[in-house]
Amino acid sequence: MALGRWGGPGEERRSLPPGTKLILTRPAATVPRAAGPAWFRINRVQERVLGYALITPVALLIVALIAYPFLNAIWLSLTEKMVGYPAHFVGLKNYAALYESPRFRIVAWNSVVYTVGSICTKLVIGMVMAVALQKAVRGNQLLRGFLLLPWVIPTVVIALTWRWLLDLYRGLFNVGLHDLGIIGAGIHWLGNPDLAMLSVIMANVWRGFPFFGVSFLAAMQTVPQDLYDAASVDGASAWQQFWRVSLPSIKGVVAIVTLLSTIWTLNDFNIVYIMTRGGPGAATHIFATYSYELGIQSQRWGMAMAASMYSLPVIALLIVFVVRYLHREEPAS
Amino acid sequence: MSGRVLRWLAVGILLFLVAVPLYWIVVTSLKTGRQILMSQAIYIAKPFTLENYTYLFEETRFVLWLRNSAVTAVASTMLSLAIGAAGAYALTRLRFAGRRAFGALVLITYLVPPGLMFIPLYRTLIQIGYTNSLGTLIVTYPTFLVPFVTWLLMGFFRSIPRELEEAALVDGATRLQTLWRIVLPLAAPGLLAAGLFCFTLSWNEFLYALIFIADDGLRTLPVGLSEFVVSDFAFWGQLMAAAALASLPVVLVYIYLHKYMVGGLTAGAVKG
Repeated sequence: MALGRWGGPGEERRSLPPGTKLILTRPAATVPRAAGPAWFRINRVQERVLGYALITPVALLIVALIAYPFLNAIWLSLTEKMVGYPAHFVGLKNYAALYESPRFRIVAWNSVVYTVGSICTKLVIGMVMAVALQKAVRGNQLLRGFLLLPWVIPTVVIALTWRWLLDLYRGLFNVGLHDLGIIGAGIHWLGNPDLAMLSVIMANVWRGFPFFGVSFLAAMQTVPQDLYDAASVDGASAWQQFWRVSLPSIKGVVAIVTLLSTIWTLNDFNIVYIMTRGGPGAATHIFATYSYELGIQSQRWGMAMAASMYSLPVIALLIVFVVRYLHREEPAS
Repeated sequence: MSGRVLRWLAVGILLFLVAVPLYWIVVTSLKTGRQILMSQAIYIAKPFTLENYTYLFEETRFVLWLRNSAVTAVASTMLSLAIGAAGAYALTRLRFAGRRAFGALVLITYLVPPGLMFIPLYRTLIQIGYTNSLGTLIVTYPTFLVPFVTWLLMGFFRSIPRELEEAALVDGATRLQTLWRIVLPLAAPGLLAAGLFCFTLSWNEFLYALIFIADDGLRTLPVGLSEFVVSDFAFWGQLMAAAALASLPVVLVYIYLHKYMVGGLTAGAVKG
């Protein structure tokens, strides 16, 4: 095996097409491996040095702007800082105070409702979208492109638009429902605690379902047509084909999309901040908006970080799932 | 047959759901202040006016926000592409100890939500005394862009046959030369897709820009827009005009990029 700089001992599996090999045998023949391939070893070292050099910027970025801030923040969550005094270590006091705090319990519960409500709805609508667009029809590309627009435009625009859609007196929802004779007086969408939660979930679903739908659709289209043909020969109904053929084939993508979305929704900020600022009361406050209130607005940094950290175990667990899944798929070259 | 009807019904409902808020943005932006305030001409702007758009350019700092957003998005995209491409090449083509673990680390950082990172990052920026500048955003946006670029480009680099590089190496090229002359040109579509994704992500970013920037003149577009709403009152006509204009660049990018989007999504976020 004369694979030059690529093939070290025990690396034969990275063989080349025969034609290429012919060319590659020459340098190796001039420097037989048994005679001590000095240049070969040097190049392995060079390869390693270059490898480390090229990942250094990424590594620096991760260490300086992700790992260090994060570890520092964990420390911060164990301290208390009063104005005029240096921060001092208080152990788990912040965590205990939050655990006892009725307001924080509402925040934690809201985060769960917001996340589960959004994701379940997005799963259903996304699946409907994928199935509806699955059979190739004319204009399909155009349709798909249009349906993906909410995923493209800035979240701030979406949140502001929904706030305006749901405006008490002049919003399209209330005016439209009134004109259709469905409601008499305007509904106070963002002023009623339950409806406010429903409203932020609606905006989140509107933004997120196209991503679900397009991902599912892309996965479904890799399913061989033979499977469907065989199923329909066996007399399977459309519903059975979806349930028995489509869904099992795309369950990996469904799992990944759901996990990714859960990670990001649980710590979402933009939609809630812009639509309700967490209100009315604390009815739509979730982890990130509450941390913002504690940290940025009240300067209670230790408490703010502790509030964020309460979501960490779940986030970390989900990240482990995703990494194990995706890293397994990657060829271990 | 009923399946067909059902399918088109579903498509129709989805189109309606997506279209209504988009239509509401455009139609509101074309109404006069009076039409909005008095709830006249709800469903169509009649007569329509462009005064909201001219107001934005003449009476607000819209152009400044636009400039700030553009500078930040372009600079952070360039930076992220350079860092990410180097990292992706090392992780796909060069053998060194710890490579696989590092690949996992990049993926982990890609997944850490900004909602969890904004306070830690802000505290660190305060420590080093580097807040309230466009530079702050340009160096912090890569925290979410670089892992994304790296992960996306790893897929592209893997699809380039090693044999091309090996042939060049045998002919006496150095590793850096093969990267520069062979791999990067062949990965140009990937670089373009990654760059446009980065641009979109930076352009739309709100949380970091809201917190790291205090100076009114340094606001980016999304933060500027959010400041339009004062307590419970807003000039919805101007605001929706600004919303439409803020969405325009990313929608144009997206129309061009459409083909790559789905592939990029699955390559970047789903498939690895």
